[in-house]
Amino acid sequence: MFVITCPYCGERDLTEFAYGGEAHIARPHWREDMSDAEWADFLFMRANPKGVLAERWMHAAGCRRFFNMLRNTATDDILAVYRIGETPPKVEARLPATPSGEAPLGSGNDAVKVIQPGEGG
Amino acid sequence: MAEERVGPPERRLPLFRRQAIEGAPGTIKLAELPFAAKFVLRLDPAAGEAAFRQAAGLDLPAAPLMSVVNGERAVLWLGPDEFLVVAPEAEAGELAEALAAGLADTHHQFTEVSNYYTAILVEGPKARQALMKLTTLDLHPRAFKPGMVAGSNFGHAQAYLWLEHEEEGAARLRLYVRWSMAEYLWCALAEAGREWGVPEQEPVAGEPMLTESVTSRKA
Repeated sequence: MFVITCPYCGERDLTEFAYGGEAHIARPHWREDMSDAEWADFLFMRANPKGVLAERWMHAAGCRRFFNMLRNTATDDILAVYRIGETPPKVEARLPATPSGEAPLGSGNDAVKVIQPGEGG
Repeated sequence: MAEERVGPPERRLPLFRRQAIEGAPGTIKLAELPFAAKFVLRLDPAAGEAAFRQAAGLDLPAAPLMSVVNGERAVLWLGPDEFLVVAPEAEAGELAEALAAGLADTHHQFTEVSNYYTAILVEGPKARQALMKLTTLDLHPRAFKPGMVAGSNFGHAQAYLWLEHEEEGAARLRLYVRWSMAEYLWCALAEAGREWGVPEQEPVAGEPMLTESVTSRKA
């Protein structure tokens, strides 16, 4: 169980919320010459990083409003919660500790790398 | 009382078969409230608050999770631009007309939900403790104060909980729950009150409640 801070209702249990997928994906303007690949990219392709991901969540049992969240998918840290239409704040993601304690970068162990917003994807 | 509650089919509350029940004196009481007018209002408070006050005779809640009461009428905060307006049944038409006229120039949506939600009254010094068994909401008096409204899950049912009034530890709470979930929630509340002597409530359709204490008692 973890607690999510709804920007309208405050701290509530995870079970009250519904997940809405990756945030900030704008529907492309329809054009005559739009290719299937372009449309499929909008519909299906998601970043799925190990690291910081901007997500949409909805407070389904409470105020029923969508909001955005920055979550570290490697550690489940909730780094920021902000309303729809606001720009994501700058956050620092904690690197996940590994059992054998490798250095996070340069060790060749990709499992401990954290992708920051704007990097890779 | 039961005879009054069983009216013609179009005048039946979802819990019309249920009588008010209570535990040991000074613990907890459960009852379904009679018919009332309920409306869900979608309105940007910044744009329509003055018009609403003029039409309905009461303010919109100033802060999230709060309510405003004026006599028999109440406005409950459901979301940043969503409110539940409750009034006596006889005032339903009058209130709807006043709001339609008063908010005509403001972008809004006004939906009657009188027969969509029903209200279950949970009252007494143990009311908070009984509800704590069903929900993950923080119901400590420090966190959930009189006048507060919160939507949450109670058992498997989604409902809005309103702490109407509290005096010397005896709380009066209302649960606004969807018509079809009222029967389930009633039985779940009775089950939560068993430790204070609330009588067991069998689901009308005879389905098992699937809580451990019920199944083990019957075995």
